[in-house]
Amino acid sequence: MSKLSSPGDLSALRRTLVAARDPNKPGLVVCAGTACQASGSSQIVLAAKKHLLERNLLKRVSLRVTGCHGFCEMGPFVLTQPQNAFYAQVKAGDVPRLIDALLAGTYVEELLYRDPSTGVRYRNRDEIPFFKQQQRAVLGSNEKIDPTRIWDCIANDGYLGLERALGHVDRSWVVEEVKRSGLRGRGGAGFPTGRKWELLAERKDRAAKVLVCNADEGDPGAYMDRSILEGNPHSIIEGMLIGAYGTGATQGFVYVRDEYPIAIRHLEIALDQAREVGLLGQDILGAGFSFDIKVAKGAGAFVCGEETALIRSIEGKVGEPRQRPPFPVERGVWGQPTAINNVETWANVPIIFRLGAEAYAKVGTKNNAGTKVFSLVGKIKNTGLVEIPLGVSIGDVVMKIGGGSPSGAKIKAVQTGGPSGGCIPASRFDLSIDYESLGAAGSIMGSGGMIVMDENTCMVDVAKYFMNFLRSESCGKCLTCRKGTQRMHEILEDIASGKGTLAHIDLLEELAQVVKDTTMCGLGQTAANPVLSTLRYYRHEYERHVVDKRCDAFVCEELVGAPCQSACPVGTEAWRYVALLEQGKLEEAYKVIRASNPFPSICARVCDRKCEQRCRLGASGEKPVAVRALKRFVVDRVDPSCYRPPVRLRVADQKVASVAVVGAGPAGLTAANELALFGHRVTVFEADDHPGGMLLSAIPPYRLPRDVLQKEIDAILKNVEVKCGARLGRDLTIDELLAEGYQAVFLAMGAHRSARLGLSGEDVAGVISSLDFLRAFNLDRRVLARGRVGIVGGGNSAVDAARVALRCDGVESVTLLYRRTRQEMPAYAEEIEAAIEEGVQLQTLVSPVALASREAKLTGVRCIKNTLGDFDGSGRRKPVPIAGSEFDLDLDTLIVATGETPDIDYLPDMAVPVDKAGRLVADVATGATRRPGVFCGGDVLSGPNTVIDAIAAGQRAARAIHRYVQGQDTREVAEPRRPSVYVPAPGGNGADGAMPRLHHRLQPLDVRKSSFVEAELGPTEEEARREARRCLRCDLKFTQPAQAAKEEQR
Amino acid sequence: MISLTINGLPVAVEEGSTVLEAARFLGFPIPTLCHMEGLSPYGACRLCVVEIGEGPKARLVSSCTFPAQEGLVVRTASERVLRARRMVIELLLASCPQSKTIQDLAAKHGVHRQRFRQEHEDCILCGRCVRMCEEQMMAKAIGFRGRGDRRSIGTPFDEKSEVCRLCGGCMYVCPVCELRCTYSEPDKVVCGGCANLSPPCIEKDKFHDMMCFLDPCVACEIEKD
Repeated sequence: MSKLSSPGDLSALRRTLVAARDPNKPGLVVCAGTACQASGSSQIVLAAKKHLLERNLLKRVSLRVTGCHGFCEMGPFVLTQPQNAFYAQVKAGDVPRLIDALLAGTYVEELLYRDPSTGVRYRNRDEIPFFKQQQRAVLGSNEKIDPTRIWDCIANDGYLGLERALGHVDRSWVVEEVKRSGLRGRGGAGFPTGRKWELLAERKDRAAKVLVCNADEGDPGAYMDRSILEGNPHSIIEGMLIGAYGTGATQGFVYVRDEYPIAIRHLEIALDQAREVGLLGQDILGAGFSFDIKVAKGAGAFVCGEETALIRSIEGKVGEPRQRPPFPVERGVWGQPTAINNVETWANVPIIFRLGAEAYAKVGTKNNAGTKVFSLVGKIKNTGLVEIPLGVSIGDVVMKIGGGSPSGAKIKAVQTGGPSGGCIPASRFDLSIDYESLGAAGSIMGSGGMIVMDENTCMVDVAKYFMNFLRSESCGKCLTCRKGTQRMHEILEDIASGKGTLAHIDLLEELAQVVKDTTMCGLGQTAANPVLSTLRYYRHEYERHVVDKRCDAFVCEELVGAPCQSACPVGTEAWRYVALLEQGKLEEAYKVIRASNPFPSICARVCDRKCEQRCRLGASGEKPVAVRALKRFVVDRVDPSCYRPPVRLRVADQKVASVAVVGAGPAGLTAANELALFGHRVTVFEADDHPGGMLLSAIPPYRLPRDVLQKEIDAILKNVEVKCGARLGRDLTIDELLAEGYQAVFLAMGAHRSARLGLSGEDVAGVISSLDFLRAFNLDRRVLARGRVGIVGGGNSAVDAARVALRCDGVESVTLLYRRTRQEMPAYAEEIEAAIEEGVQLQTLVSPVALASREAKLTGVRCIKNTLGDFDGSGRRKPVPIAGSEFDLDLDTLIVATGETPDIDYLPDMAVPVDKAGRLVADVATGATRRPGVFCGGDVLSGPNTVIDAIAAGQRAARAIHRYVQGQDTREVAEPRRPSVYVPAPGGNGADGAMPRLHHRLQPLDVRKSSFVEAELGPTEEEARREARRCLRCDLKFTQPAQAAKEEQR
Repeated sequence: MISLTINGLPVAVEEGSTVLEAARFLGFPIPTLCHMEGLSPYGACRLCVVEIGEGPKARLVSSCTFPAQEGLVVRTASERVLRARRMVIELLLASCPQSKTIQDLAAKHGVHRQRFRQEHEDCILCGRCVRMCEEQMMAKAIGFRGRGDRRSIGTPFDEKSEVCRLCGGCMYVCPVCELRCTYSEPDKVVCGGCANLSPPCIEKDKFHDMMCFLDPCVACEIEKD
């Protein structure tokens, strides 16, 4: 090949190459970026080659192996041309079918990409939401080019920008053009590229000028530079050539880390080929300028991405930043004037010259022109590289392109800019992605890492992770960076392991600020960002770690202990009774359950199972251990009398008090029981005729048989006195109680005021609240529903009402109306499933808008259809009514189950403050209200909540009341809940989490539909033992070392 | 000549001077540790930070490395500077409490506690020895190894150096091991004793201008008697 000697030669070559191509020739495009190679794209390429050779199809089908396309989650994938069909997660065996389909002009439907949230399959790649929302100016050429063939590149407009630039004899036009384009440094700081070039062009030193491409990409989770180098190295060469022409530089370096072997190989091939055709070297394209590029390999120090350290590293010295000024443009590589730009910046330059600066500047926003590539990783459905115009909102990238959370967990924040960046909380997802907005929010653009975090991400742990990274990646020159990052990491370690105090947080913040202020280079100045930004938005998480010793994301091991135990509001040692059950020690298991919970049989049936939600087995992708079913197995088989409450030795000067408990629901009864065990005299005042509260009135008997309920209530009543029919505000007041000699009062009246729909005509017959409906049925067997029944709501109370109504005589049909989708329903999934099985019709995405009635009787409801709109601050999508989609539903009864609030209007008159929203003002940790001696807990404080939370509130308040009457501080010092009792691990086959989860069995459908017998059946002994063996025994990590030490002593 | 303003006072210095030199020329005290006359500026200890610029663009830079620039506005003792300096001293103290130099700095700047995990290291990696060896002794026998919190000073691969002439220059310039603080109160890391008291041995009437150079200084013991 003779060298190209003028821009005309180049365009002639391009014309020849383009003419030789048939755009309609069937072709396979296989991505062979690092990520796809890791997921097996080499096998795909081999299989394709084999099939093409065997069938002698080489002439008819082309095969192109390219760099990264960006959708790494779906690798390895095959793109077919000209169909543009995107086959995701292809296996080598599928390739022949794909080729056959391609030749036949058809599709292999089952291999086409399927959107996991909607289930839609797409035939055209560009229709896929992940691609559709992007604007792939830089990454878009990757799929068109085989990076090892310069012809491919030239045929696809490669070096066209150079050609255009060389058309201008006045070299300053080149710099002006870049300035006009508004391109800013894509490495993160956003310095205007044109200005940088201008400074270099203005230098009149004798020394030769140098251009450097900074490909030292080291941010955890960021890999856009790699994919550009791998997929389109010529774009970098072209960008640098244009830069050289404009600035008069003669020497170029690409500083790339050695961990990128494919990038280095492709780059070196590209450089050789460019030299061969005369695009590098002396007198390039006859334009009278010479330029060559060398590859400088970095050994992987993060700090070498800092430009002064990078310069030293190219010079062969230790990568260590130095003071700027002098800036590299004054004194750079070997003292020569140097301009350093990031890979992505260089890759943008050819685009500017291909399109023209004006056209380029139209993309993006005013001061943030062009597109930016982000690597979207973390807790997100569509992991990969995305390229968007600057100015798009973070929410759009995370939700529309990224597809939101893969597990359904709430997305909490994104971390941008890698270790130097910060976290941006979900509440600020409307923030536009540009240099200024991100900076103002406490983060940086950075090179483009975007790590998505959900509620299972602990922000303290995130800060700790980055600080650990920076601690070992700091060059160590500046004391504040070396010691500062080390000390910040130490403090974060202390906080994460439960040794932290509030002083730790203050010190951390103080130190972070100084590190940011005093360090010399960019690494150190931004090193504090992970700490400062998490402190800014998530200080409450830090405080939770140091004050309550809890990690709500269940990440910090020392604070979590066994997740089942720490997830339980009453701290039940679930791991322990599961282990004892496995050994057949049922009585011991019962004692463990009962020790922390006075209502074991009730909770074994109706608990919302926070233990299972947090089970490590569940978090690791398997199904969690069926803890509640195992509890049911134990409590059904053990005589409760085996449990004796611990004898609390009376301390000599302990004061015994009389305590009044108002409300005999789970919170009130628990508190009464605990206080009685402390030795206090307790009287419970209950407004109804029977103690039990919501347990009795709201939970239907098919979920909680009345005999089970009664037994556990009776057991508590042995120790306390109950006065029924006494309602606070009507029959008694707090002043009276205190005057009668009660030293403390515990308020646990529950939440009994039902929310209303807010529609006119709500007072007609036939519209009732779910509470009234359930209560009438549960207490008096009165049926308030008839005919066609509709229920508005999506919580457990709605589903309970639906299932009860279904079982009642005189009810024809039951329809559940919910405004969001089934995924968002707060009711337990298995309850919803059982309800549907039994015949409840579920209509989602509908809201009632008007009620129709005749003669003060309900006749129907007008509903409107919703669609899920934008994400609100909670990370859930808002239901948005679709205009004109109203429809009428004929109903005889409408049960409203849209929530309850406490009915406590009388409390302010009793000197117990209530806030503007009608909630009690109280310390959640102790239940203490503003009025001394008056405590509260349960639904009256928290709003409608679960049974187990009410029990926990009762226990907390009981302890606080006990301390109060002893004259002590009501707050207790929090300790992390770690497993402390050693239970040997199962021998033999041992734990096996991979076994299938216990099958949840129900009564036969016909039995359950027509009666109120308990719907759920407990497990058999064999099932229970097998299920118990699935437990991973997270406790052993904490108990085994102590046990081993003990045994050694012996 | 370059003119700049330091703490409101105009000063003109030769081109190539650092801000530290300019400030010291005017007589403003700026504490330093890694800086040493005769050695090239390094900027490692960050003790000499000063605030430059105004408004939201104001920032801290190490005065020993920052070149004096035309029109630069410098503050050597602003609240921000002092806060940073105290934290730097606290960090030093947490690592090398046995250095008398650092103890004196702590006392002078009112640092009365350190809140980190206590370490007892012998080196603050200021690099004076490295520069001494390279720039004054022309030996380059020692240098920095490693990075981050594993950075250390020594000969390559800890082998006995062939170029070292055992001149001792490295030890001579070390700010940490030149003088050991012998705690008057060993249970406390910050003693501050020596700098807070003027040693009685320099009081004329008692000791006739004689300094005893006893190590440890037993001045306090004498006074008790």
